Amino acid sequence: MKKKVLAMALATTMVATSFAGCGASSSNSGSNGDSKDITLTVWSPAEDQSKKEGNWLKKECEAFNKEHSEWNIKFKYGVCPEGEAKDKVTTDVDAAADVYMFANDNLSALVKANAIAKLGGKTLEQVKNQNDDLMLNTVTYKDSVYGVPFTANTWFMYYDKSVFSEDEAKSLDAMLAKDKVSFPLSNSWYIASAYVANGGTLFGDDQTDEKAGINFGGDNGTAVTNYLIDLSKNPNFQDDKDNSGQSAFCDGSVKAFFSGTWAYSDAKKALGDNLGITTPPTIKINGEDKQLKSFAGSKAIGVNPNSKHQEVAVALAAYLGSEKAQKDHFELRNIVPSDKNIDVSSDILSKAQAETIEKASIMQPMVDKMGNYWGPAQSMGEEILAGTVTKDNAADKTAKMNDAMNTDAVK
Amino acid sequence: MKSKNTLSNALRNGDYKTKLSMIIMGFGCMARKQIVKGIGILLIEIGFIYFLASSGIHNLMMLPSLGWRKQEEVWNEAKGIYEYTKGDMSILILLYGVATILLIVAFILFWMLQLKHAYKLQLLEEEGKNIPTLKQDFKSLLDKNLHVTLMSLPMLGILIFNIVPLLFMISMAFTNYSKENDHLILFDWVGLKNFARVLSLNGNIGRQFWHVAGWTIIWAILATFLNYFLGMILALIINRKGTHFKAFWRFCFVISIAVPQFVSLLIMRTLLQPQGAVNAILKTSGLINSPLPFMTDAMWARVTIIIINLWIGIPYTMLQVTGILQNIPSDLYEAAKIDGAGPVVIFFKITLPYMLFVTTPYLITTFTGNINNFNVIYLLTGGGPTYVGDTAGQSDLLITWLYKLTVDNKYYNIGAVIGILSFILLSIVSLVTYRNSQSYKNEEAFK
Amino acid sequence: METKKNAIKSPLGKRLGNLLVHVFLAALAVVWIFPVVWIILISFRAEKGSYITTFIPKHFTFDNYIRLFTDRNILNFPQMVWNTFIIAVFTCIISTFFVLSVSYCTSRLRFKLRKPFMNMAMILGLFPGIMSMVAVYFILKALGLSEGAMIRVALVIVYSACSGMGFQIAKGFFDTIPKGIDEAAMVDGATQWDVFTKITIPLSKPIIVYTILTSFIGPWVDFIFAKVICRANAKYYTVAIGLWNMLDKEYINSWYTCFAAGAVIISIPIATLFLVMQKFYVDGMTGAVKG
Repeated sequence: MKKKVLAMALATTMVATSFAGCGASSSNSGSNGDSKDITLTVWSPAEDQSKKEGNWLKKECEAFNKEHSEWNIKFKYGVCPEGEAKDKVTTDVDAAADVYMFANDNLSALVKANAIAKLGGKTLEQVKNQNDDLMLNTVTYKDSVYGVPFTANTWFMYYDKSVFSEDEAKSLDAMLAKDKVSFPLSNSWYIASAYVANGGTLFGDDQTDEKAGINFGGDNGTAVTNYLIDLSKNPNFQDDKDNSGQSAFCDGSVKAFFSGTWAYSDAKKALGDNLGITTPPTIKINGEDKQLKSFAGSKAIGVNPNSKHQEVAVALAAYLGSEKAQKDHFELRNIVPSDKNIDVSSDILSKAQAETIEKASIMQPMVDKMGNYWGPAQSMGEEILAGTVTKDNAADKTAKMNDAMNTDAVK
Repeated sequence: MKSKNTLSNALRNGDYKTKLSMIIMGFGCMARKQIVKGIGILLIEIGFIYFLASSGIHNLMMLPSLGWRKQEEVWNEAKGIYEYTKGDMSILILLYGVATILLIVAFILFWMLQLKHAYKLQLLEEEGKNIPTLKQDFKSLLDKNLHVTLMSLPMLGILIFNIVPLLFMISMAFTNYSKENDHLILFDWVGLKNFARVLSLNGNIGRQFWHVAGWTIIWAILATFLNYFLGMILALIINRKGTHFKAFWRFCFVISIAVPQFVSLLIMRTLLQPQGAVNAILKTSGLINSPLPFMTDAMWARVTIIIINLWIGIPYTMLQVTGILQNIPSDLYEAAKIDGAGPVVIFFKITLPYMLFVTTPYLITTFTGNINNFNVIYLLTGGGPTYVGDTAGQSDLLITWLYKLTVDNKYYNIGAVIGILSFILLSIVSLVTYRNSQSYKNEEAFK
Repeated sequence: METKKNAIKSPLGKRLGNLLVHVFLAALAVVWIFPVVWIILISFRAEKGSYITTFIPKHFTFDNYIRLFTDRNILNFPQMVWNTFIIAVFTCIISTFFVLSVSYCTSRLRFKLRKPFMNMAMILGLFPGIMSMVAVYFILKALGLSEGAMIRVALVIVYSACSGMGFQIAKGFFDTIPKGIDEAAMVDGATQWDVFTKITIPLSKPIIVYTILTSFIGPWVDFIFAKVICRANAKYYTVAIGLWNMLDKEYINSWYTCFAAGAVIISIPIATLFLVMQKFYVDGMTGAVKG
């Protein structure tokens, strides 16, 4: 059995811990000493390794290997979509990739599982130079930066230009008056936008103040709940459950839906030049137009702290998130770069995403307490759809939801 | 002789060859011409001692503390990176500790067994009987001791992949392994605290526990018995004399087994959504005005799940029952017919009692299988609808709730407590039923 | 069920009863087949997307099947089918052996640990398997089965290791085979092994069909354990993981019809297996036993 190996690993760890102090001083020769063969495991979504889409990952990794003659790296590739990093990496951090990609809402789980390394020095400099504050915040957890962002991650609106004018597309109510719209009411990633629109806050103004908690209650919150009840009863409204919105949009039975960059190619195929993409619209609450605000996050590249070749792994992560690699990513796979120095305003998808992030989004909070948000928010959406939240109990239910969002699942 | 060969007798009356087996295991065998067997036993002892020395003792010593070293982080200025040294992982320490304890217990049992065996050889020698040779031993493995041959591997599988994880889960309930105060990597023993939290009616877990447990039991009873009786009736209808195309009918029902369960469940889920095809078709045909709330209303959701579960479960019942029905001795039927019994009487007087006799254990396993029926609930409704402020949805079973609490919310300790509580509840119910069933008490009844 | 009772109650109207039974069976069969037909229709649908409001697709196409086998860049479906097939065959062999062994022992042999074992198996079955995922993974890792080609072995073990606990049905069946035959054979000098292999097993075809079928299906439909054990090793993914991945929000719209096509494809071996083994469900088993 491998128990012996475990015992040895523990013993080595103990030895390593005692030597950690002197490690720093003796590692000056490190860059030369590392010149031997190195094997690195890299995980990315399958598309980055798809031949049809140019095998971006392999291309970049090999370019990286060429650039660094001091290392002779052999790469091993694995498949892990960004959103699943927190499951696949944390199952067994030891056996996970040296370098992997993650969606930033996985970050706190990754940090808690000791599964991601902090960035510093010139890597940190690079990240700071490439990204604006919002992007930087998305990979910052408790004042440390953990990943190299390569694209933003948010949702916005797809609509049919032949039905709605650009002006109409700015107001959800104007659109609903005219034709069918699908919105994922029972999906907590989307429903927050309505509460935030009417002044609700998540963890303070910059979404980082854990003590401030979630503030979706009160009269403002109740007004939103009432709005959503009306919305759910509007015959032109359709709930977008399990991607039904996109299906309906593509077959023409719905004229607008809400989603992210991943929905683009299918929507484009279905609508061609009639496809319009823009920021989330406003909603009319108490006679005032309020801007829906989507959650903004990022996808980023992280490094496993247990990597045997930490230095190489960090350098590779920085390379995969570099300006050049992001440009390639955009060309090969239409992944909108997060690097502010790359100009992509000519592309309608990139433009819509950039505008959404700039004007109609808040950063998706990454504090631990955010874990309590998702369940109650989804229940609220489901209850509105089921009709168990009515105008009579809206205030009550909104208060209950807000309470639940600020309490741990287990008291 | 059997009564003579006990452990205490071996310790009291064993000669030096037997007694030496206490320390040098297998010595009794080697000294009494069972050389190969003896060496085998000795090798196991040596292997065990090696294991203890190399990691077993270490595993045990870590168990009380469950580890304490945190991951260390050092900034390396020259390389411009943070370097890490690994800390302890409580979960691995716990798992290895549990496995080590189990190994030690197994070894002690083995030690007792070989000692008894050595004494048995001594007795055989004293009585002047032949000591079985290796060849005879092997032969008996195919005859008198066939159960050893046939049961060893399945038992080993159960031991490693069921009992070890089970003990591991049970021990988790006594720790603070949860996201609370950051105890996902390093956690400690906390005693019975978690049980108190779950069972107290004031907490938000305790409040929901009884509710979920109640629905779980209702669900399991309905799902099991409806499937059982309807499946049996279906099998009877297909098997009756007048029915033609038996194979065809069976195939029609079995085809739903062939489609992977999660696929058919997910497809039904889309079918039954408010915008799904069923509602769309009903709407366009003018039968309804607003979509039927198959999954969105609590009561509807529960009924929907039970009905869909019939679709899944009946073919399985039909398959099993068909085999057993064909084995009902036909003279039983003939005798009944001579007595002038009609088909209904025959069903209630012969078929049903016979089936119940044969399948009670199966019924109990299906019952427990339904209690732990994760797929149907998770894939169809996801436990929903969930009311604001709850973690458990209206159609959540204990197992799906437990999954939500552990995988989504990271309260492994609370999940384990719920697992244990439902486990205790169920074991009592099923053991009592099982031990009182005819098929357990009187296994020979129909032979 | 009404029809059945009627059929039985009126021996005079036997024909009418038979007719009713067949109508009833046909109606029920339609209900049973409806979702399957629906899946098949989706698999031939040219319109993409997961929601559709018409029963019959507007346009039919074979593309969904073709894509499964040609578009291997993102989801290598042929590879997954092959992986699953190998795993399923070995799982099936081992599980069937385990189940039959344990059932025979508990039904026919009398040994000291028999009742304790039966009680234990009953209790252990109550343990929610899902909670054991993490433990199972680390046990497999400790056994050196978590990387590379060993992942296949690991999956076979996971699916078959505990199969011995599912002996109840087969045991119930064995209990119904008259013991007299065994005893007669033993008088003629047969060993227990001979009785097991030459008498009991040949008499137990229906239950063996059932056991083989259920254990063969396991690997095709499990996505929970497979995901944890395969993690990022896409080369060893089973069909279930592949199908499950097609439902990710990035894929669902363009892959949903392929998802149905994949489901149809993996139903074929299972359905065939049943068709082939169906012939063992012959009537008059008891007659054979007697003779």
